[in-house]
Amino acid sequence: MDPECSRLLPALCAVLADPRQLVADDTCLEKLLDWFKTVMETESSLQLLQDHPCLMELLSHVLKPQDMSPRVLSFALRLVGIFAAQEDCFQYLQGDPSLFVASAASQLLVHILALAMQGGASGSPTREAAAWPVCAQKIVNHVEESLHSKATPQVTQALNVLTTTFGRCHSPWTRVLWERLSPSVACLFERDPIPAVHSLMDLLLSVARSPVLNFSACGLWEMLAQTLNRLSPTQAGPLALGTLKLQHCPQELRTRAFSVLLQPLACILKATTQAPGPPGLLDGAADSLLTVDTLLSSKSTCVGLLCQTLAHLEELQMLPQCPSPWPQVPLLGAAVTILRLCDGSADPSSSVGGRLCGTLGGCVRVQRAALDFLGTLSQGMGPLELVLEVFAVLLKTLESPESSPMVLKKAFQATLRWLQNSHKTPSCSDLSADALLFLGELFPILQKRLCSPCWEVRDSALEFLTHLIRHWGGQADFREALRSSEVPAFAHQLLQDPESYVRASAVGAAGQLSTRGLQAAPTSPENPQAQQGLLMDLMHILSTDSEGFPRRAVLRVFTEWLRDGHADVVQDTEWFVATVLQAVSRDLDWEVRVQGLELAQVFLIQAMGQPSLRCPYTVGLPEATSPSPHPEFLQTLCRLPLFEFAFCALLDCDRPVAQKACDLLLFLRDKTSSCSGTQEVGDNPSSASVEAVLQRWREGEQGQLLGDLDPEAMLAILRSLDLEGLQDKLAKSSDHVEKSPQSLLQDMLATVGILEENEADCY
Amino acid sequence: MPEIRVTPLGAGQDVGRSCILVSISGKNVMLDCGMHMGYNDDRRFPDFSYITQSGRLTDFLDCVIISHFHLDHCGALPYFSEMVGYDGPIYMTHPTQAICPILLEDYRKIAVDKKGEANFFTSQMIKDCMKKVVAVHLHQTVQVDDELEIKAYYAGHVLGAAMFQIKVGSESVVYTGDYNMTPDRHLGAAWIDKCRPNLLITESTYATTIRDSKRCRERDFLKKVHETVERGGKVLIPVFALGRAQELCILLETFWERMNLKVPIYFSTGLTEKANHYYKLFITWTNQKIRKTFVQRNMFEFKHIKAFDRTFADNPGPMVVFATPGMLHAGQSLQIFRKWAGNEKNMVIMPGYCVQGTVGHKILSGQRKLEMEGRQVLEVKMQVEYMSFSAHADAKGIMQLVGQAEPESVLLVHGEAKKMEFLRQKIEQEFRVSCYMPANGETVTLPTSPSIPVGISLGLLKREMVQGLLPEAKKPRLLHGTLIMKDSSFRLVSSEQALKELGLAEHQLRFTCRVHLQDTRKEQETALRVYSHLKSTLKDHCVQHLPDGSVTVESILIQAAAHSEDPGTKVLLVSWTYQDEELGSFLTALLKNGLPQAPS
Repeated sequence: MDPECSRLLPALCAVLADPRQLVADDTCLEKLLDWFKTVMETESSLQLLQDHPCLMELLSHVLKPQDMSPRVLSFALRLVGIFAAQEDCFQYLQGDPSLFVASAASQLLVHILALAMQGGASGSPTREAAAWPVCAQKIVNHVEESLHSKATPQVTQALNVLTTTFGRCHSPWTRVLWERLSPSVACLFERDPIPAVHSLMDLLLSVARSPVLNFSACGLWEMLAQTLNRLSPTQAGPLALGTLKLQHCPQELRTRAFSVLLQPLACILKATTQAPGPPGLLDGAADSLLTVDTLLSSKSTCVGLLCQTLAHLEELQMLPQCPSPWPQVPLLGAAVTILRLCDGSADPSSSVGGRLCGTLGGCVRVQRAALDFLGTLSQGMGPLELVLEVFAVLLKTLESPESSPMVLKKAFQATLRWLQNSHKTPSCSDLSADALLFLGELFPILQKRLCSPCWEVRDSALEFLTHLIRHWGGQADFREALRSSEVPAFAHQLLQDPESYVRASAVGAAGQLSTRGLQAAPTSPENPQAQQGLLMDLMHILSTDSEGFPRRAVLRVFTEWLRDGHADVVQDTEWFVATVLQAVSRDLDWEVRVQGLELAQVFLIQAMGQPSLRCPYTVGLPEATSPSPHPEFLQTLCRLPLFEFAFCALLDCDRPVAQKACDLLLFLRDKTSSCSGTQEVGDNPSSASVEAVLQRWREGEQGQLLGDLDPEAMLAILRSLDLEGLQDKLAKSSDHVEKSPQSLLQDMLATVGILEENEADCY
Repeated sequence: MPEIRVTPLGAGQDVGRSCILVSISGKNVMLDCGMHMGYNDDRRFPDFSYITQSGRLTDFLDCVIISHFHLDHCGALPYFSEMVGYDGPIYMTHPTQAICPILLEDYRKIAVDKKGEANFFTSQMIKDCMKKVVAVHLHQTVQVDDELEIKAYYAGHVLGAAMFQIKVGSESVVYTGDYNMTPDRHLGAAWIDKCRPNLLITESTYATTIRDSKRCRERDFLKKVHETVERGGKVLIPVFALGRAQELCILLETFWERMNLKVPIYFSTGLTEKANHYYKLFITWTNQKIRKTFVQRNMFEFKHIKAFDRTFADNPGPMVVFATPGMLHAGQSLQIFRKWAGNEKNMVIMPGYCVQGTVGHKILSGQRKLEMEGRQVLEVKMQVEYMSFSAHADAKGIMQLVGQAEPESVLLVHGEAKKMEFLRQKIEQEFRVSCYMPANGETVTLPTSPSIPVGISLGLLKREMVQGLLPEAKKPRLLHGTLIMKDSSFRLVSSEQALKELGLAEHQLRFTCRVHLQDTRKEQETALRVYSHLKSTLKDHCVQHLPDGSVTVESILIQAAAHSEDPGTKVLLVSWTYQDEELGSFLTALLKNGLPQAPS
C-alpha cells in the first residue's frame, strides 16, 4: 500500500464505523473492496492488518449488532471474507433478510469452512466429521439444522452454502460432508411441496460435478433419478439439462433425463399425427410422465413448458455432450408442427389437436422459441420432404401479415441458416435446386417486407439481404433470381428512409449490391451514371446525414471499396480519398473520424506497402528497408490533405481518434524514414510535444499554414514529434488517474458531511 | 395464497440503477433496467443471476417495462437483452422509444472512448434491443398476454416519462418511475386516476425535502450566469444531451431575449437539432403553454443558442457553453473545462449528480487541485456551482400522488434509506396503509385476497331493487342469497331458485330458547303481559296474541308455561326460524331483562 493511501485509511475507517456518517455511495465501497483485493495480491493480509489497526477496529465495530447500514455491513462482511478471519457472527448474519447480505454471509461461511478444513485436515481425509475443527463442526451443524427447518428461506440458505462448497472445494473432506448431510437433503424430497426446488437442483448438480465423490457409493444417481421423476415437467427441465451436461453419468440416467426434455414435444407430435404417421419421439417409452391433458391444463403452463423445452434442446444440440443418436427427424417434425399450430395452418385431425391449435394459435412467445430451435436444427438437415416443409413454414411465417417484427427477424435468421446449410451437400457448393426454387418465392416477400411500415421489419429485411448477397452474390443462379426481382431497387430507395437505423442498413446493402455488380439499374457500358450515382448518394449521406449510424455505414462501405479496388474508386482514388477526408474532418461523431483514419491507412498501405513488423527478436538485424515512397506520392498526401487531417486528429478530444492518428503517423514516419530531409523543426528531433508543434505551426512560425505543407516540411514535422511518448500516454485509459486508490480515498473523505442535497439527486 | 412479491435488484434504498422485479398472480414483470454510472465493469448492470438462478430470463419474465429514457432506468437494456439474452417484449412510451437509443449510443461512445472497453454493448446490440420494444400510448390498455395488462400514465420528469399500472385480474401494481408533481418550463405535472392498486411503488428521491420554488432556483441560476458573462468570464454547463439540457436552454434563451444580451451561447455535439426534432415530434407530451405557443413560435427553435465548434473554446471574451457529457468525465466538456479551469473569472455550473471518480464529483466535493494525466496538476480557480434542476416530486408531491391513487399499500424505491424511513412513517400515519422500503435483493411479499367473480341472478337483483336499494358502483353491498358452485363458476341466486335448480325440498330450521320470569300470575296473564310489553316496544313489527294464548312476532312464537318446581316462576318458550335469527336473539335478550311492573 502506498504511503498516501496508508495516511488516508484511518480517517476513512472512522467514517465507515460511524453510523451517523453517510457513506458517499455503494460504488465507492465496491471499488474499495476491489482495491483491497489488489493490495492483498502483493501483501500478506496479516501484515496489512497489523500495519493498519484501524481495519481491525472497523471490522470488530461493524459486526456488533447495531444500527449499521446494510451497505457498510455487507462491505465489512466481504472484507472479512477477503481477510478470511473472524467467525463469530454467522448466526446473526444468516437471518438477514437481504439477499445480498445473506449471499455475502454464505460466501464467508464457505471460505471459513474451507480454511478450517485445509488447516486441520492433515490426518486421514475421510475421518469422522466429529473430529473436525470446532469451527467447521459449528458451521456443519448450523447447515444441518437449517436443512431441517420448516422455513423455506433458511433451507435455501443452507442449500446455497452447500452448493458453493461443493462447487469450490474439491478436497476429500467434502466426501465426508456429503455422507453426513445427504440424508437431510434426501428428507427434503419427502416434503410436499418440495422446498427450494431450484436451490436443491443446483446442489445436486454441483455435487455431481465434484471430482472427488464416488457417486455410485453415495447414492447420488438414484437421488437424481428420483428427483427427475418426482418434479413437475417444468421443474424437471433444468435438472434434466444439467444432468445431460455432466461429464460422467450413467447412460440410464442420461436416457431418463433426455426423455424428460423430449416429453412435451412427443406429446405435441402424438396429438397432431394421424396414425400411422412417421416415427414419433419416445415411441417405445412405457412410462409417459406427461400427458397431453397435463400439457393443456392451462395456457400459461403449456406456453412456458414449450418455450423452456425448445430452449433447452437448442442449447443441448450445440454442446459436445449432445445425446447420440439425436432424433433429428422427429424433432424437426415437432418444430414444424409447433410453428404450424402457432400460425394456424395446422390441420387438427383430433380434438386434442384442435385444443392445441386454440392454445398456441398466435402465440408469439412459442413462435419465437420454435424459430430459434428450427434455426439450430439446420445443422443436422433432414430428408428432402421435411426440408421442403421447413422452407414452406418459413415462407408462411415471412409472408403472414400476423407475424410480429420479432418473429419476422427470427424467421429471417432461421431462413439464412437453412439456406447456408442446404448447400452443404457433398456434390456441389452452389445453392441447391430446392433452395433456388425457394428463393424465387422468397424475393417477392422480401420486397414486400422492405416496404413494411415498421422500421424493425425493413431493417431486418435489409440485414437479411446483405447476408444473402455476401454469401451467394457471386453465384449465377442467385444473381439471376435477384436481378429478376425488384429487391435491389427497393433496397436502394431505403437510403432515404426516415429511420436512421434503416438508412444505415440500406447503405450496407447497397454497398454489397454494388460490390457484386447487382445494383438497381443494371450497369451497361452505355449507362455508367447509375453506378456513379450510388457513390454520390453515399457521399451525400456522409456529409449531410444527421445521425452517426448511416455515416459510419458509408465509411465501412467506402473502406471496403477502397480495399477491394471497386471500379468507381479506382477511377479517381485521389479525388475519392480527398472528398471523404474533407467530410470526415468536420464530423462530430468520433467513430466516423476513426473510420476516416482507417480509410486513410488503407490508402497509405496500398501505396506504401504493409507496415513493417516490429519483432523484438530481430533487434540488431539489419532491417529490411522498404523502398522510399515516390516523391509525387508525398505531394499527394500534402494535397489531399491527408497529413493535416491526421495531424489535427492527434489532438482530438476523443482518445481513440488521437490513438488511431498516432498509429497512422508512426506508420508514415516509418515508411518515410529513408527520405532525406534537410528541414528540421526545433533542435531535438522526436522530442517536441504535439501541442507545441501545432501551436507553432498555427502561429505561422514556419511561414506556412497547415494545408499548404510541402513534403519537406511534412517530413520535418513528422520527425520532430514525440509520437512514441504520445502513444504510451494514449494507451492508458483517459481516467487512469481518477481510478487510482488515492483518488477514491480522497473522494470518499471529501464527500463526508457535505453535499447532502447532491447525494439525493440523480439524473 | 395469492400474493404480490417485489424484489428490487437496484433502487432498493439507493438511487444508483433502477431495476425492480414484481411477481403478480404468477406473472413476472421487470420494472426498468437501469445502469449505474459509477462503475466501469459489469457491476454497472443489475445482477440478473439473482433472478434466473436456474432458468432462462425469457422463460421467467413476461415483460420488461421502461419508465423513461434516463440511463439509470434503461442503460442496462442492451446488455440485458443482447448479452444476457432476454428475448421477450419490452414496453415503453413512444418518446422513450425514440430517445432511448440516442442516449444509449451516446453513453456507449463515451464508455468506449474513455476506456476502449471491448466488453461493452455495441451499436448493433442497441439496435437489436430496440427491435424488441413495443411502444405504448398514454392511457392505452395494452394486453401483454391473455391475463396481463399494462397502462401508462403521464409522469412529467422528462419527455415521455410514464408511470405504469400492471394488472392481472383484479390485482394491480402501479410503478411511478421518476415523476414530478409540478409542471416546469416544458413539461406538465404527473397525473394518475384513482385506480386503487394493491401496491404503489413510488420513487422517493426527495422523500424529506420540500423543494424551494423553482422560480428561486432559476433566478439564482440566471443571476450567476449573467454576472459571470458581465465581467467577461466564460460559463461551462456540462449536460447530458437530452433532458435537463432543454429546460436550461429554454430558460437562457428567454432570458437572453428579455435582457437583449449579445454574448454567444453554444451547445456542443449537434444534439440541439436532434433534441429539437424530438420535442417537435412529441409536442403532445410537453406542457400546455408550449403546445399553445407552438403554432406561432416553436420554443425549441433557439435564436441565441448556436452549434459549438471545438475552436470556439479558445476565443477571447465571454460565452456560455453547454457541453456533453454531464459529469466532466470525458470528451468535449472535459476538454473545455481543462482550458478554462485556471481563470477565476470563469464558472462551471453542474446541473446534476456526478458519480465518484469523475472530475465533476471531485470539484463538487471541494477539491481544487486535480491530478490529471502525466502527473500534471490542474488548479481549479474558476467558480464551481451546483444547481439541481432534476425534476422529481418532493415529499409533498409524493404524498399527493399516494392520495390520488389510493393504494392498499406503498413501497418506496429510488431514495436513501434514512429519508425513506421518515417518509414511510408519514405515509403510514396519514393514509393508514402499510409502507415498505426493501433493500436491494430483499423481497417484500404482500398477501392479497383472492378475487372470485360471482354471477348474480336477475331475480335476486330485482328483488333488491324493489327494496329501493339501487346498486351503486364502487360501494360494497351486503346481499343474501344462495351460492351455487357448478362447472367451475359461481352464482348467487335466491334460495327458492337454488332449491328449484337443485331439486331439493325446503326444511325449516327453528331455534328455541327458554326464558325464566319471576311471575306468580297465571300463564295466560303472563302471556298477555308479554304481549303488551312487546307491542309497545316493537312498534314496527307485527305482534299478535293468538287465541291459544301464545304470542307471535313475525315468525317468532312465544308460549308461557308454569315452572314444574317453582310456582313463582314462569317459563317462556321462545322459538324462531333461521330467517328471523336477528330478531329472535333480540327478543330473547329483551325478555331476559324482565317485564315492566304492572300498572296495578
